[in-house]
Amino acid sequence: MSKKENLDISEVYLLDNHAGTVVEAELWDAITEKNLADWEADWIPHLFELLKSLKQKGVERRLWPQSRHWHWSDKVKAIEGKLSNQCFSIVCDGNTQALMITDLMRRAQLDAQKNSHLVYMDYLEVAPWNRGELIGRSPKYSGAGSILIRAAIELSKQEGFRGRIGLHSLPQSNDFYANKVGMTDLGSDENYQNLRYFEMTPEQADEFVMKGEDL
Amino acid sequence: MKINISKVWCEKMARRETCAEIGAGLLAIDPVIDNEYVTKTSGDDTRFVLQRFIELGRRDMNLSVEQLAERADIAISELISIETDIHHLPEPRTLYQLAQVFSVSQGKLMELSGLTKPKDVNYLEEAVRYAARSESIERLNSEEQAALDGLISVLSKK
Repeated sequence: MSKKENLDISEVYLLDNHAGTVVEAELWDAITEKNLADWEADWIPHLFELLKSLKQKGVERRLWPQSRHWHWSDKVKAIEGKLSNQCFSIVCDGNTQALMITDLMRRAQLDAQKNSHLVYMDYLEVAPWNRGELIGRSPKYSGAGSILIRAAIELSKQEGFRGRIGLHSLPQSNDFYANKVGMTDLGSDENYQNLRYFEMTPEQADEFVMKGEDL
Repeated sequence: MKINISKVWCEKMARRETCAEIGAGLLAIDPVIDNEYVTKTSGDDTRFVLQRFIELGRRDMNLSVEQLAERADIAISELISIETDIHHLPEPRTLYQLAQVFSVSQGKLMELSGLTKPKDVNYLEEAVRYAARSESIERLNSEEQAALDGLISVLSKK
């Protein structure tokens, strides 16, 4: 857990796809005991319901989501006290909707900014009910991914990294980072289970922010 | 740290994001559904559409299989399998590369291949109809060109 003495909360909004309305949410600059309790009490049971459904349909165990093994408590414990990591969470309707851990010690790989500091998005996950592909219908809430990317950009600027960020994408998310977020695709990383590595320059960061400004 | 993000910004970006899969990190890999699962859960119709789309798109760009494989940075054998073997299940990376070359949605190509479950089955019927209108000959005739244009239109929708 984040041992921050003062939790900073920023007002944000998510799109409730089921109601078709925009709802108030909070961006926390930490992963707290409350977030981990939500993960354990709500995310995991939700995943298990999904697993039961897969079992009933006869889907082989090896094809079940690997996220059933994710352990946010361990992830957070591993970075406890480290100043080089910054966590974020999004809370809406009393429950945690997304979690992210960033690493401030990574360096850029893109030629134009090679070896410059950036904010690396180490882990990013949204709640299972917000993953349309996983549940086979519209996600409950949308927007958490963009808000967390914006948070990483703002953190990068605050640290003097000018908005540079990087991440290794989930295979199904490549299209999102390349085309909707506008990051540069540096290709498969054989040192990272062949996940594709994406990076954002300061100019791309400004463009991403502007995408939401010109309604 | 406090971050000032407007309601307008959140709403606009959420609408852009709506059905996108969001995730990052080494442990965030979800399993890719294999041939056995595809056989149980999806028909050959959608893979036929994928076959026809790739072939028509390649010919429309006047590219040989070898040239398209080079442009997309994928294995020639993989491309041949996609075009000729209706039971072949492509790699997600291959579909991502092809989606970039043809400027269509990677997500839709993954749905056609059977790698992911379609969220909207309506477009599939439309795509099958376009694909069924074409037959493989050396050059694209006007009907094939119309079929390809229709497929691009359907598969480009995000």
